[in-house]
Amino acid sequence: MADLKIKGITVVETFAEAFPMVGTRVVITAPTLKWALIAAQTMTGFATSVIACGAEAGIDRILSPKETMDGRPGVAVLLFTMDAGKLQTQLRNRVGQCVLTSPGSACFAGLEGEKKLKLGASLRFFGDGWQMSKVVGGRRFWRIPVMDGEFLCEATTGLTKKAVGGGNLLVLGKSHKAVLAACERAVEAISEIEGVITPFPGGIVRSGSKVGSKYKGQIASTNDAYCPTLKAAVKTELPLSVEAVMEIVIDGLTKESVAKAMHAGLHAVAKGGAKEGITHITAGNYGGNLGPHHFHLKEIVA
Amino acid sequence: MSALTFQLKNAPEERLDLSPLTPDRLSGLKAKDIEALSIGTTRVPATVGDVFKVKGKDASKVVFVGTDARCDKIGAGMAEGAIVVDGNAGAYLGAGMKKGRIEVKGSAGVLAGASMAGGVLDISRHAGERAGGINVGETLGMRGGVLTIGGNAGPLLGERMRRGLLIVSGDAGDYAGARMVAGTILFKRGVGANAGFGLRRGSLIFAKEPKTILPTFGDCGVLEFDYFRLLERWLRANSKPVKLGARARRLMGDMSVLGKGEMLILA
Repeated sequence: MADLKIKGITVVETFAEAFPMVGTRVVITAPTLKWALIAAQTMTGFATSVIACGAEAGIDRILSPKETMDGRPGVAVLLFTMDAGKLQTQLRNRVGQCVLTSPGSACFAGLEGEKKLKLGASLRFFGDGWQMSKVVGGRRFWRIPVMDGEFLCEATTGLTKKAVGGGNLLVLGKSHKAVLAACERAVEAISEIEGVITPFPGGIVRSGSKVGSKYKGQIASTNDAYCPTLKAAVKTELPLSVEAVMEIVIDGLTKESVAKAMHAGLHAVAKGGAKEGITHITAGNYGGNLGPHHFHLKEIVA
Repeated sequence: MSALTFQLKNAPEERLDLSPLTPDRLSGLKAKDIEALSIGTTRVPATVGDVFKVKGKDASKVVFVGTDARCDKIGAGMAEGAIVVDGNAGAYLGAGMKKGRIEVKGSAGVLAGASMAGGVLDISRHAGERAGGINVGETLGMRGGVLTIGGNAGPLLGERMRRGLLIVSGDAGDYAGARMVAGTILFKRGVGANAGFGLRRGSLIFAKEPKTILPTFGDCGVLEFDYFRLLERWLRANSKPVKLGARARRLMGDMSVLGKGEMLILA
């Protein structure tokens, strides 16, 4: 294998294996950016992985008052699941419990989409008959009376079946500190890319998993090949000098946006060079048989 | 291609039914066929060729020049394209229209935009009674689209309106928004007596407080509405700028009927 080198860091010739997902995007506005962010962070909380959270969600980007439908500060949120029915349930529950409840909030569609998901069209029932529908410019909005005035919520938002989940980068380094710093930089760079999220805490996951386990009923377990404390006992992928590995998982509305995010992330990791303590950049896959989307790092680098 | 233009030769001797002269109905017709279309409403036959000088070819944009208050049913039931009226329009202007755009540089007669379902109808000057109201044979008024009246509007504006947006820049007559089922009327100036009589649902937005308010409307006080921000931005983006702000006094009514409608008086 002819591994590539950037600034002394080895970019392993491998690929990230990603899966098709269904995704949606909504825009949350509030009187201040602080409250738009509170609503968005609450709505996208506990949404790191579909394995147990039901959805993967995160903040796409912050919108200026000029970019939102009601001229207030806004936040665009992305939500992904494995099928449309689950996405509808997650969207209703999350917007209903976390946005509707947040002071001064409003919620709008953030995606045209091939199909529509109900947004205000189901949340309107909270209005108990006092809700009002308003059509502005061909789009329907619901005004739902709440204790601080009205919750304005667009009737529907778009759904895309072309979303991609599980784009990833694995960062190997000689110290925990160095790997964390490099990954933070990568998450920062990826946050600039539109249409993608990094759903894990702070965008970084330290407990990468493999499929299956020795225990019955445990569908995923620790990725032992990348655990530095197990180097001597398992078929390790790590050189002796590697002390920590962290992964950045990327979900996006399109294959292209995920590739773009991986490109930005990879270069942000490599920015400090090998002297910072980063040794390898690689990616996670299952041999290529499970997911239809393969992001080859040597193509991503370019 | 230049717009298909109908120039009125002389003031018509009778009321004219111009409903055949919409872009969708004219497309594909030859000049000769167009001139042969019957538009008379009395026993004296009248064809397009008798009344209008016809120029141009592009039927997707129809222009009327020099029309007067006897030119009825301009753009009635139209489903696509654009009509420009360089003059006045008679009754039933854009009544039952579904799509497309009508622009009138003068005034319109009764029942302008009556029971219209979609599209945009812009009247630069005044509109007669029952604009956006119930077309003959219908049970509901406007059920979609945008109707703007640059001047004054007659009585029973938007009667039994179901959906859509109506904007009056001048004064509106009595019983504006009467028996409305839903939809929005924006009054930039004054309004006559009994506005919102029998209002079931829907919003009457007043830039100025009406002189009299029906006693069957209940006050909710001055409140903030994010809906206004949304509407104001859309209006500005569609070159109909109106300063709404975000605060308004909300009155709910008409409590003598369903009472889920509202008057929003800008504060």
